[in-house]
Amino acid sequence: MTTRRKILLGSAAAVAAGAAGLGGRVALRNRDPVGPPPIDAEGRALWSNWSGIAHSYPARRAAPADEAELARLLPDTPVPIRPVGAGHSFNAIVPTEGTLLSLDRLSGIVASDDKAMTATVGAGTKLSALGPTLAEIGQEMINLPDIDKQTLGGALATGTHGTGKGVPALHGRVTGMRIVAPDGTVIECNRDQRPEVFDAARVGLGAFGVVSQVTLHNWPLSRVKKVVRVVDTDTLLDQWPALAEQHRNAEFLVLPFTGKSALVTHDVTDEPVLPRGPDVDTDALMELKTLRDLFEFTPALRRRFAAHFLDGAPPEIAVDEGWKLLANARPVRFKEMEYHLPIEQQVAALREIIARIEREAKDVFFPIEARIVAPDDAWLSPFNGRESGSIAVHAYYKEANDWMFDLVEPVLREASGRPHWGKLHSLAAPDLKALYPMFAEAMAVRRSLDPQGRLLNPFLSRLFADG
Amino acid sequence: MALALAACGAAEAPPKPLTEAQSAALTPADLRLAALYERSCKACHTVTDAQAPLTGDRTQWDPRWAKGEDVLLASAIGGINGMPAGGQCFECSPADLKALIRFMAGRGQ
Ligand SMILES: Cc1cc2nc3c(=O)[nH]c(=O)nc-3n(C[C@H](O)[C@H](O)[C@H](O)COP(=O)(O)OP(=O)(O)OC[C@H]3O[C@@H](n4cnc5c(N)ncnc54)[C@H](O)[C@@H]3O)c2cc1C
Repeated sequence: MTTRRKILLGSAAAVAAGAAGLGGRVALRNRDPVGPPPIDAEGRALWSNWSGIAHSYPARRAAPADEAELARLLPDTPVPIRPVGAGHSFNAIVPTEGTLLSLDRLSGIVASDDKAMTATVGAGTKLSALGPTLAEIGQEMINLPDIDKQTLGGALATGTHGTGKGVPALHGRVTGMRIVAPDGTVIECNRDQRPEVFDAARVGLGAFGVVSQVTLHNWPLSRVKKVVRVVDTDTLLDQWPALAEQHRNAEFLVLPFTGKSALVTHDVTDEPVLPRGPDVDTDALMELKTLRDLFEFTPALRRRFAAHFLDGAPPEIAVDEGWKLLANARPVRFKEMEYHLPIEQQVAALREIIARIEREAKDVFFPIEARIVAPDDAWLSPFNGRESGSIAVHAYYKEANDWMFDLVEPVLREASGRPHWGKLHSLAAPDLKALYPMFAEAMAVRRSLDPQGRLLNPFLSRLFADG
Repeated sequence: MALALAACGAAEAPPKPLTEAQSAALTPADLRLAALYERSCKACHTVTDAQAPLTGDRTQWDPRWAKGEDVLLASAIGGINGMPAGGQCFECSPADLKALIRFMAGRGQ
C-alpha cells in the first residue's frame, strides 16, 4: 500500500515540478523553529512542553520520593510551584520560574480491590505503565487518550479523555484522591470526605494542590477489536450519531481537502488476538503533508490525488487488550486546539470548520479529530452536566497556527464549546464563568487551599483572574 | 589511510542493528540512572514506531555521537525532531542527561 502511495506521490511531484518557487517554499516551511537557548544566562536549564511552544527556566526542579517528602517541600520552595506530568499540555499551564515539581517517583499501584474493581495509583504513573499494571490485576480503563505518555495526575488535571458513547473522561471514574495543599497539609477527599475539594479538584489544573494518589474505578479486563477504515466524510457525518451508538469507542479523523475520513472503532470481542502492525499513521500523515506541499494552491488536484491513494485502502484491524490498542505512538510533534461542544452541536460545527479550513487555510494538512464523551459532575470538568462532542484541530509544530484562533475558535465558541484545559484557546475568567455553573464555588475552594496563590503562574492567573 | 582504516576495523567489529527486545533488555548499571532511564527515556528509545534511535543500537547512534556530546546534550535539553525538550526527564540535570545519552549511545555510562 505504502509503495503504491509513494509511486502516486512521485508522479504527483512530477506533475507539480513546474510550479515556480515550490521547492523554496517547502524548504522554508521545513526548517526547525529556532528554540530558546538550552541554558539561560543564570545557568538554569530550559524546560519546554512537548510541542515546544511553552517554556521556562525553573529555579528549582524537585522530584520527591514520597508524599511525606512532598509535604515537607511544598511550604518552603520558590514560587510559583507547578506540578508537571509529562509536559504534554499544549498551552502555558505548566511553565514556572519557581519550582517545577515532577511526580515521576510517586508511581505504581498502591492498593487494589478485586471485588470493587478499584485501584489506588500514584499520581505520577504514566498511562503507558498503568495499562499493563492494571491488566495484571484483571482491570483496565476503557477510556484512554490518543497517546499514553501522560501521567495520571496530569491527565486528570486537564480533563483528558478518549471517546465513546456513555464513556466518561478519565476523571469520571475517580472515586477518591489524596492532595497535598501548598501549606503541606494532606487532604483525603471523596464523595463523603471533603466533597467540595473532591468536586473542585478532580479536574484541578494543578491549582488546588498536588495530587499524590488517585483511586480509579476500573472495568474488568477485556479484549477488543480495533478497526480503522477510510470512509467518505459526507456520509460519515450523516451517520455519526448512529455509529457512535453502535461502537464502544468510536472517533473519526477528517482528512481535510480529501473528502475522506478515517473512522476508528473499538468493540469488545472474543476473537483471537491479532496484534497491531507497525505504525502506519505517521506515513499517512507525511503523505498528506506531501500532497499539501505539492498542491496547496490547486485543491481540485489535491483532492484527486488524495482519492487515488486513499480509495480502496483495506481496513486496518487488530485484536488485543484495550490498553495495547486505544493509544497510539504519534512521533510527529504538533500543536492542538480542542473544544467540547454540547453533542447536538458537534456535526454542524464540524461541517462549518471543514468548510472554513478548505476555503481559507489551504496549508492545513493535519486531520480534524471528532470524539464523544459522557457527562460527569466534576465542577471544572468540560463535560460537566452535558454529553459532549469534541472537535480538535492540529498544526505541524514547525508551522503557523493562527488559523485555529481566527477561523476555528469562533465556531467552537459560538456552539457553546468549552476548551480542553490542556490545549490551545484564548479564553479567560469571564468567559469561563459563563461556561461553568460551579466556577465561583470552585474558585472559593481554590482560594481556601492556596490563599497566597503559590500555585498560580501567569496562565492560570488569566483563567482564574477573579479567583 | 587504508592502513588506518584496517587497524580501526580490527579493533572494533562493525556495529549491528538491535531488535526492540535486545534494546529493551539494556539498563544502566547505576541504580539512580536506571530509574531515570526507566521513567523517561525507555518508552520511546526501545520502540521502533516512536522513531527515536534505539538504546544501544550503534548503527543508529554512531552518526549522532560523531556530532559531539555537547551537541547531543543541547538537542536533549532543547528537543529535536519528534523528541520534546528535556527528553521527558524533568528532574534530570544536564549531567544526568549527558550520562543517559552516553548509555543510550552504547558508550557505557
Ligand atoms: C500527542 C498528544 C496527544 C494527546 N492526546 C490527547 C487525547 O487524546 N485526549 C485528551 O484529552 N488530551 C490529549 N492530549 C493532551 C494531554 O492529555 C493533556 O494535556 C494532559 O494534561 C497531559 O498530561 P501530562 O502528564 O503531560 O501533564 P502536564 O501537561 O505536564 O500538566 C498538565 C496539568 O496537570 C497538572 N499536574 C500534573 N501532575 C499533577 C499532580 N500530580 N497534581 C496536580 N496537578 C498536576 C499540571 O500542573 C498542569 O496543570 C494530548 C497531548 C499530546 C501531546
